[in-house]
Amino acid sequence: MKNQLRVLRAGRAWTQAELAERAGVSRQTINAIETEKYEPSLPLAFTLARLFGLRIEEIFEP
Amino acid sequence: MTNPSASRRASRSLPLSAGLWILCFFTARGVLELRDLGPGIRIAAALLPVAPFAWFLWTFIGHIRSADELERRIHLEALAVAFPVTMLLLMTLGLLQLATTLSMDDWSYRHVWAFLPAFYLGGLVLARRRYQ
Repeated sequence: MKNQLRVLRAGRAWTQAELAERAGVSRQTINAIETEKYEPSLPLAFTLARLFGLRIEEIFEP
Repeated sequence: MTNPSASRRASRSLPLSAGLWILCFFTARGVLELRDLGPGIRIAAALLPVAPFAWFLWTFIGHIRSADELERRIHLEALAVAFPVTMLLLMTLGLLQLATTLSMDDWSYRHVWAFLPAFYLGGLVLARRRYQ
């Protein structure tokens, strides 16, 4: 699943570790999502969307 | 989502409990090599690693419960590798036992069990590599 996470994170000047801490997951999880090796669960996708003030479909696209 | 304090607690106690379990296992093995011991002491020595293993299991479950969703998936995929490989090993040993006489010095339970955590660790390495 394609996503805009890396671009959005760079826009906020957050490191992967910072985003991971805010989202309550590990840095490895953020990295795996950004590299599209892992598709997050719906609760995590909602958390990420809330952190960026966007809707899920504005971050993730099937 | 992770529980950071539980995760830190589990990370601290997991290697400690694993180390104690392994230490007790090798102590039990060493004691059971001695010939001049009564059956009561031998049984007590054989059961020595059970309590530390129970603690290890408790901390391992705590580690899994406090892990985030990707870490849980990695452990699930490790199990998906380790379980069938374990089945294959036991099935093959069982058939070989019918075909020929396996040396109990090499293929008894006291040796074969060590393959199981090795398969699990192998599965963990494969799964972690996939999500790197």
